[in-house]
Amino acid sequence: MDQNGLWRCEDAAVVSQQKSGPDWYRLTLRAPAIAPLVQAGQFVQVRVHPDGWIGSDPLLRRPLSVCTVHQDELTLIYRVVGRGSFILSQRQAGEGINLLGPLGRPFPLTAAEQCPLFLVGGGLGIPPLALAAKQTPGRRRTAILGARSKSYLAGAEEVAATGIPVLVITEDGSSGSTGRVTDLLAKHLGPGDQVWACGPDAMLMAVSALCDRTQASCWLSIERPMACGFGVCIGCTVARQRGGFAKTCVDGPVFRSTEVNLLG
Amino acid sequence: MGEVDLNIAVAGIPINNPVWTASGCCNYGRELGTLYPLRELGAIVVKGTSLDPWEGNPGRRVAETPSGMLNAIGLQNPGVEHLLRVELPWLEQQGATVVVNVVGHTVAEYVAVIQRLAEAGPTSVAAIELNISCPNVREGGIEFGRDPSAAAEVTRAAARVTPWPLFVKLSPNVSDIIPFARAVAEAGADALTLINTLVGMDIDLASGRPVLGNTTGGLSGPAILPVALRMVWDVTHAVRIPVVGVGGIRSGDDAVRFLLAGAQAVQVGTAIFQDPWAPIRIRDGIEAYLRAHGHRSLRSLVDAVRHRLDG
Ligand SMILES: Cc1cc2nc3c(=O)[nH]c(=O)nc-3n(C[C@H](O)[C@H](O)[C@H](O)COP(=O)(O)OP(=O)(O)OC[C@H]3O[C@@H](n4cnc5c(N)ncnc54)[C@H](O)[C@@H]3O)c2cc1C
Ligand SMILES: Cc1cc2nc3c(=O)[nH]c(=O)nc-3n(C[C@H](O)[C@H](O)[C@H](O)COP(=O)(O)O)c2cc1C
Ligand code: FES
Repeated sequence: MDQNGLWRCEDAAVVSQQKSGPDWYRLTLRAPAIAPLVQAGQFVQVRVHPDGWIGSDPLLRRPLSVCTVHQDELTLIYRVVGRGSFILSQRQAGEGINLLGPLGRPFPLTAAEQCPLFLVGGGLGIPPLALAAKQTPGRRRTAILGARSKSYLAGAEEVAATGIPVLVITEDGSSGSTGRVTDLLAKHLGPGDQVWACGPDAMLMAVSALCDRTQASCWLSIERPMACGFGVCIGCTVARQRGGFAKTCVDGPVFRSTEVNLLG
Repeated sequence: MGEVDLNIAVAGIPINNPVWTASGCCNYGRELGTLYPLRELGAIVVKGTSLDPWEGNPGRRVAETPSGMLNAIGLQNPGVEHLLRVELPWLEQQGATVVVNVVGHTVAEYVAVIQRLAEAGPTSVAAIELNISCPNVREGGIEFGRDPSAAAEVTRAAARVTPWPLFVKLSPNVSDIIPFARAVAEAGADALTLINTLVGMDIDLASGRPVLGNTTGGLSGPAILPVALRMVWDVTHAVRIPVVGVGGIRSGDDAVRFLLAGAQAVQVGTAIFQDPWAPIRIRDGIEAYLRAHGHRSLRSLVDAVRHRLDG
């Protein structure tokens, strides 16, 4: 934990919550203790019931990546996939939501590399790239964002708002070109470039294989089911290539692609 | 009105309050230690410790269930040498009271871990807790936990070598827990911890396959509280050695239920995942209960319950 510095627990106030696509929401929270500390790639552990709720179900918090930070506010973009995210989607402006964070190892923001940086996101992997774009002002960045179709490009607006060039690709061609993020990335990536990717495992493995072939360096932000989110349960493991397991919540969620084996 | 005295001695170990963190739910204390001083905990029970490092289970390890969760960590731990070299010196600096949870594949491995600890003699260690009940390691502790004579054998061997009080953590995955409690008490256990997790599973609707990599896992959290409470009640009515209650505790009121069932201390596990301050809140909740019920000390409640059990 110590290597990741400070984390806090805070009752954040819901500033706004909007349904912004077929199944995804934008939730902005006032979290003055946590927001200023967040580095791109880090996440918060969210209690989905409002403050004061003493029920026992759902029991665990839900991990969500931070999409953007504006002063003491942070925005989360999440998809409703089950009961926790459904309950979260019921929260309204003025209610309080308890957060733990920021948690996890961020993208390598402080690295001094001058090489081109590609921010590659698929579906709900797009949101954390908005903060990544914002927190890497000195670098030559390009975002490559993909989804099933236009209405599932959750967080693409936030990435575009940072002003970096954005290339979009959808599987059905409803926005940008037609195909998958690796199709676009293959056209632009060169040896020595760097990629930061976030999305489903299948996409991350394809991106990582492409980087290997191209001799580009690659960082992956991965998702694993979590119980605590702060390193105490050893429940969120991913296999290390050199053997053994890493904890996604504190050793990740951002890993060098050569560090982990997503199939392990 | 004066302070309520929460000091108590359990099997000879003096603790400043009855709320401990449960094994596997606080790692080695470093994460909670960034939030509050570990001295605030009655004791910290560290992750199950084996002779050599154990890698743990592949595949998915945790899944949420109604008011609970399943885990199949597989006792991943860096082994006793790491505990001695890295974790215990740090815990000692923090002034923490440490209970070492010990696991092994064989009686000899349990004994070797305790002997190694005894040899090094770390001053932060207050007790040993034998985990003979982990449901997630096939050839591991569970075999000892499922047969009273095997449970007695490993307890006897551990009691012979431990310089510290010996707690034995029992499995709830048996048809009657009382023969186990009696067998390990007779074999030299100084106290009992109950319960470990209940074996359960979940199945993924999309794939039709078990959710956990290990197929089954251990159920913990509020869902198991009534089972744990019943087992503590049964055991405190059957044996005289102290009992530490654990299972689903997430409030002071939950903890007091265990004290009223005859436990002398409690451990908090899964509740920490949702609220890392849970042990502190629970301690304060116990204190508030004692005050509201006219007890000047925890000892007064524990003695009153003991009196009832003996009567
Ligand atoms: C570090 C991290 C960052 C994430 N960031 C985002 C984000 O920015 N936006 C977003 O939409 N989603 C994100 N997710 C996934 C999100 O946590 C899950 O979709 C959410 O927990 C589902 O909860 P539920 O109760 O609705 O679903 P259920 O399926 O009912 O959940 C049951 C249990 O499984 C866990 N779970 C289910 N799906 C996932 C998953 N994909 N990853 C991890 N745990 C899961 C839940 O946390 C819960 O404990 C992130 C996950 C991780 C690990
Ligand atoms: C993720 C996890 C890991 C655990 N690891 C251990 C362990 O290493 N040794 C042990 O004796 N018990 C272990 N347990 C069991 C707990 O210590 C406790 O007995 C059980 O979870 C019931 O308490 P709770 O409902 O408060 O969690 C573990 C439990 C969980 C949830
Ligand atoms: S979620 Fe508990 S250690 Fe990562």
